[in-house]
Amino acid sequence: MKRAVTIVVAALALSAIGALFGLREQPGSGSGSAVAAPPARPDRLTQTITRAQERLRALPGDHRTWAALGLAYVEQARVSGDPSRYPLAETALHRSLKVRADDNSDAFTGLGALANARHDFAQARTFAQRALRANPFDAYAYGVLADAETQLGNAPAATAAIQHMLDLRPGLAAYARGSYDLEQRGRLTEASDMMRQALAAAVDPADIAFCRNQLGDLAWFRGDLGAAAAEYSAGLTAVPSYSPLLHGRARVAAATGDIAQALADTAAVAARTPTPETLMSYAGMLRLAGRDADADRQLDLAEAAHRIFLANGGRDDLTGAQLALTRGDPATAVTAAQNEWRRRPFAEVADVLSQSLHAAGRDDEALAYARKAFDLNPRNAAYAYHLAQAQLALGDRVAARTSLTHVRALNPHFSPVDGPIAARALTDLEAQP
Amino acid sequence: MLEKWQQRRAAVAASGAVVLIAALAGLGPGASVASSHREAPLIASDPAADNTDLYAFVSPDRPGYVTMIANWIPFEEPDGGPNFYPFATDAAYRINVDSDGDAKPDAVFRWTFKNVDKRGNSTFLYNNGPVTSLDDKNLLFKQTYTLESSFNGEPFKTRIENAPVAPSRIGAASMPDYQKLRDQATIQLQGGWKLFAGQADDPFFLDLRVFDLLYGGDLSETGRDTLAGYNVNSIAIQVPFKDVALNGDAGRNPVVGIWSTTERSRSRVSDGPSKGDRVQVSRLGNPLVNEVVVPAGLKDAFNSLSPDKDAGIPAVVKRVTDPELPRLIEQIYGVKAPATPRNDLVEIFLTGITTKANGPIKADLNSQLNNADVDPNRFRPSEMLRLNLSVPVADQPERLGVLAGDLQGFPNGRRLTDDAVDIAVQAVEGAAQTGKLVDALAAGDKVDSNDNAFGTTFPYVALPNQGAVNAGRDTGAVAAPKSTGPADSGAVDSGAGGSEAAPDLDPASNSSMLTNGSAVIFAVGGVGALLVMLTAWWLMKRRRRAAPPYGNDPTIRF
Repeated sequence: MKRAVTIVVAALALSAIGALFGLREQPGSGSGSAVAAPPARPDRLTQTITRAQERLRALPGDHRTWAALGLAYVEQARVSGDPSRYPLAETALHRSLKVRADDNSDAFTGLGALANARHDFAQARTFAQRALRANPFDAYAYGVLADAETQLGNAPAATAAIQHMLDLRPGLAAYARGSYDLEQRGRLTEASDMMRQALAAAVDPADIAFCRNQLGDLAWFRGDLGAAAAEYSAGLTAVPSYSPLLHGRARVAAATGDIAQALADTAAVAARTPTPETLMSYAGMLRLAGRDADADRQLDLAEAAHRIFLANGGRDDLTGAQLALTRGDPATAVTAAQNEWRRRPFAEVADVLSQSLHAAGRDDEALAYARKAFDLNPRNAAYAYHLAQAQLALGDRVAARTSLTHVRALNPHFSPVDGPIAARALTDLEAQP
Repeated sequence: MLEKWQQRRAAVAASGAVVLIAALAGLGPGASVASSHREAPLIASDPAADNTDLYAFVSPDRPGYVTMIANWIPFEEPDGGPNFYPFATDAAYRINVDSDGDAKPDAVFRWTFKNVDKRGNSTFLYNNGPVTSLDDKNLLFKQTYTLESSFNGEPFKTRIENAPVAPSRIGAASMPDYQKLRDQATIQLQGGWKLFAGQADDPFFLDLRVFDLLYGGDLSETGRDTLAGYNVNSIAIQVPFKDVALNGDAGRNPVVGIWSTTERSRSRVSDGPSKGDRVQVSRLGNPLVNEVVVPAGLKDAFNSLSPDKDAGIPAVVKRVTDPELPRLIEQIYGVKAPATPRNDLVEIFLTGITTKANGPIKADLNSQLNNADVDPNRFRPSEMLRLNLSVPVADQPERLGVLAGDLQGFPNGRRLTDDAVDIAVQAVEGAAQTGKLVDALAAGDKVDSNDNAFGTTFPYVALPNQGAVNAGRDTGAVAAPKSTGPADSGAVDSGAGGSEAAPDLDPASNSSMLTNGSAVIFAVGGVGALLVMLTAWWLMKRRRRAAPPYGNDPTIRF
């Protein structure tokens, strides 16, 4: 009992700190950079929000500004990882609709973006469609629609929505989605090119950080650790606290044996935004450093954070499955991953489901989902490795060898734990044809 | 490990849930983040594509030449090293001219920009010590541009490459003599075109709060120039009439319609048929169209449409014929909204003021229909800024332009000093049709002139402001002094060099002048001019009878 309460209190404290101070925290970039940081521009989202609030105090009937305020809150939550913005966004967007119920694509687009952020992709799609009925030229609405369709597994619909967006308003938001779409289809070179276009169009530091992070990830996926590190570093110069960049840098550090840096970065991210994902990531690094007791503590917190999310009406069976896998509960993992897959037939979900089935010893089924994940994204080394695991478990050494060859070609460093295992397995297979 | 987890989980499950849920009430709904999927920016700012204003007027100091100024990137904060505002390098900036009234461009001027970035990885600063010339090695970041033009649908021809852009003014210490930088960026091409691109004081003056009417505000809180102290990026060009007039003949065809656009390349992710290789992302002709005429829901459509599509979008036309603003004014001020459909606004915004389209304004001023060589069957109503080049330059421009009897002003083109807001508000109240200015709105937005004086020579716009916008700043943006003049030889010599960069401008349009000069003379040159004068006189008379709030000059100058 006492232990459980401790976990709860710790988690609450973490969440509250993240929620209250996440926006203001600006820790240094950690690794020394030769380049002096540029003097900060005023944060655009904060400015937008302040101005909107001032205006709405005088003009509560301005539905457009209510909608803009709501959308800015959603963006702020994305950039800062601060979920306390969501209820604020919701209030502002509903207020906009209250002032003007129809012909208000801004409000519907904002509600769609909010639904996407909360992982309610079906509802996001509905909102985007309503926005587009009111204003077929709303590029943002196509962006919301694209995000929803992508997550719902409707790749052709997502591609079409992104093309509409590119045809209406080519710019950072459209390029970023176009790049992701190309990446999903394995067209990594084009994906990188389009993300470079996005970077060229980026003005705000947060947007620069986003583009650099994606470019870093793209380099990572093709196994180019040097390029990845350079992109992450450039991004951290723009925004030293941007969590995904720290996460990316930690991943490169772990792959190159710099566990201290990896620990520092994942700890910083987990402290600022203690989500199950960041806490699990930190736990993984602690485990790599041989600090099992500390790792367990972080996993406790991850578990608690997940429960908080559920208790707040959230739904995220993917994280549930990952947590169950981490604590060695494959049966629960399978159930959770299957639930997620029914809602969201997405590559990452197929991958986690296949891992869960593999852990439960159901390798026939694991193979099918691993194959799905790999087919959906044939450039992901981790998916290829999980496919190989299932193939090996089923005794198909020829297929496993092919898959492991993919792993090596794509990114042998995909995981500091599994990477070396994959390499050894391939060597073994090659040694005994 | 497994066991440990199971134990722990049991403990949490047995006792934790109640505590958790009770303890979480304080956090409110949704107070936690789901594990992230890819979340890309949605409302990324894109100021470099944001087309703010367009001006077009007969050059007061250079007879026979028309000046067109288009602005981008609103609300540039002056000073401050990091606040450097480059033009987009992935966009094309255009000024389009339709001289035959088919709502398609007959002359296009297209600017594209390049960065010259010598900062390397060692600094983010734009300068490394005082910058005394555009070639100063202390200027670590600058831009250059290429100007191309196309006439009558022919392929684009390069007019100049690597022309200099006046940099963002980043403070007195960094740029002790900004006027010199401005002068170096003001160039003249062989054949007479003058060009300028770079930062300037935002010439638009208005209190944007006047449009709070649309959201339930009132006009009592106006009188502050919302744009005072801010800078913009300006592109200015001055060309001879013959390069924009239909058939190169501004005598027979004095009316041109002008609009500016921003384009980006079209990117593909799907494999369907492509709709061309460029996308128009913003468009601007008349001032305040997005505020006064096109409502929120249509703004996106308007920005992506070409003018020849305007008349085919009923929603756009309906917003002109049945605008929202007068109805709101009626509710608040009891000023009766003019009867709809508002064909007077159709004239002002969509056809130009002409008697040839059966509109209610009995004058011929600035419709391409008044050009002698226009085929009326091909005329297409569209939103653009229309200018009659043959109206003489006013000695003393009236800020209320045509409504004050000064036919050289907006909506006949637009000069830097024209009070677009007050004119537009009066126009939507029907002043152009009734000749009666609306007293309740007489003061308009109470901002009657720009905070900085304009120059008397090209490019006319004032130098960029210095000092924080809301601090007691020293504007430092005195009018560009006259007569420093463009650096005449500079661009051509220092530019691309060679004959390709030195354009053949005789005439630029390659179109031959028509020899049959026997057509009836329309427009301001003849009967039309008389009509205009009569109307304007009548307007003035009506206006004065209705207690003239504007100006004290009773003279009607024709």
